Amino acid sequence: MAEDLVLDTAIRDWVLIPLSVVMVLIGVLRHIVSKLMRSSQTPDAKIVREGQVMLRARNLRTAANFIPSKAFRARKLYYCNEENGLLFVPKGQATNPQAQMFSDPNMAMDMMKKNLSMIIPQTLTFAFVNFFFSGFVAAKIPFPLTQRFRSMLQNGIDLSTVDVSYVSSRSWYFLNLFGLRGLFSLILGEENAVDDTQRMMQMGGGFGFDPSKGLSVEKDNLDITQHDWALPNFEHHAEDVLKKVVS
Amino acid sequence: MVTKTEESQLKNLEIQVDNGGGGAWEYLSLIRKLKVRRSDKVLKHGLSILNDSKLRSNLGPEEWTLYEQVAVAAMDCQSLDVAQDCTKALRKRFPESKRVGRLEAMLLEAKGSWDMAEKAYTSLLEDNPLDQIIHKRRVAMAKAQGNISGAIEWLNKYLEIFMADHDAWRELAEIYLSLQMYKQAAFCYEEVILAQPTVPLYHLAYADVLYTLGGLENVQTAKKYYASTIDLTGGKNTRALFGICLCTSAIAQLTKGKNKEDKEGSQLQSLAAKALEKEYKQRAPDKLPQLTTALKSLTLSS
Repeated sequence: MAEDLVLDTAIRDWVLIPLSVVMVLIGVLRHIVSKLMRSSQTPDAKIVREGQVMLRARNLRTAANFIPSKAFRARKLYYCNEENGLLFVPKGQATNPQAQMFSDPNMAMDMMKKNLSMIIPQTLTFAFVNFFFSGFVAAKIPFPLTQRFRSMLQNGIDLSTVDVSYVSSRSWYFLNLFGLRGLFSLILGEENAVDDTQRMMQMGGGFGFDPSKGLSVEKDNLDITQHDWALPNFEHHAEDVLKKVVS
Repeated sequence: MVTKTEESQLKNLEIQVDNGGGGAWEYLSLIRKLKVRRSDKVLKHGLSILNDSKLRSNLGPEEWTLYEQVAVAAMDCQSLDVAQDCTKALRKRFPESKRVGRLEAMLLEAKGSWDMAEKAYTSLLEDNPLDQIIHKRRVAMAKAQGNISGAIEWLNKYLEIFMADHDAWRELAEIYLSLQMYKQAAFCYEEVILAQPTVPLYHLAYADVLYTLGGLENVQTAKKYYASTIDLTGGKNTRALFGICLCTSAIAQLTKGKNKEDKEGSQLQSLAAKALEKEYKQRAPDKLPQLTTALKSLTLSS
């Protein structure tokens, strides 16, 4: 089963390289189109304020040991007070970010546009690959694979005796899909619209920035924080520093 | 705050550009990135690039950013015609732009026509209520007109929305200090310390305010903050060293009747006094006798 098939170099010239070039070009095209189609999001004042409150509360938590305990306690009360504390969000008002996402027409349109711009080129390119480049062995993968991958990697090749390492061009397409991400970040800068895999990972997790949940989380964190004033230690450190300076 | 490497990089570029070497564009870009205020240099070198049409076309679309930078620098140096030319060029290129509108309002402010500038800013804010720069310009205008209470009001309104902006807190603290509202200034400095706890400047300022407020607890806290400043600067800050000596003697005066532990205090004070003497010997030896008499009077009164 381990005979070496000799693959025509013409395959390399006319299949592998053009396919990569086409994918790069399509990626660049998508990036440009997405830039043109991006609608400007006017941030809501309330959301900005909540974001800033969270930042300030987080600063308070991290650097709490640097201010006197009276000041810390005053601020903690200011934030966590049951009735009019900054971080307190009454149960009914807590805006569900998911519902907000779908009801807000702008955001829904944005998401749809992003999804479409991802799906359509992928489908088109896939069909293109299948139409033009199917039915022959395109490349040999340098490591051995099990038989399970045969159906995925060898779709056009109907010979069951061929080693699974010889794959069709569909697998070259998939390889390029995931591999060109690095190339795109070099050419197009860090934030490019072609980063599908990143977005696919994001879709599973939360949607960006959910303010109300964030606020109650911050409030709980702040309630827990204890104040351990670091300044007296600084006095001792200062003595040591000065001893070194004076000596 | 600018880091040390960035500062040295800026200085090198500045020397290079001043002495006729190339690199003016990198220098201007670095200034823009670090938000440093070197308006006269920006004006000089920016104009030299803009007036040379070949260099200008080399910049491509960045040319307009340069126009904006030079316009602001010109306004800072009071060369209003230069600023007006730049703004006109920008307006021709971007007729509907809010950024250009902002520049024009700033030009009105620089000319001194406060009411027109105020109107322009208010209308810009109606379109875009979350523009931080316009809010800050309004505060600056109130301050320039001498309307300090108006400035405080605007700044407080700004901070209600953008409460994580530590530069704004710092500005508010300085305004309060100028009005001698020390308690409020102390609060603002606490906010700044929370945002950037490792910057010794803010510890020093907070300690100064606490010492000025007076009262045993405040002076004790002030001493601790002077100590933290010394720790953060490696003992090189003269003001903090003086602060320690003054605080210790003030504490001793305030606790004359009571028996508090002053063992650790005196060690810190004597160390600070020695460090001060050493520094004065190195840097200003003729002032050394004045220093020694001052320190002696402090320790005698304690």
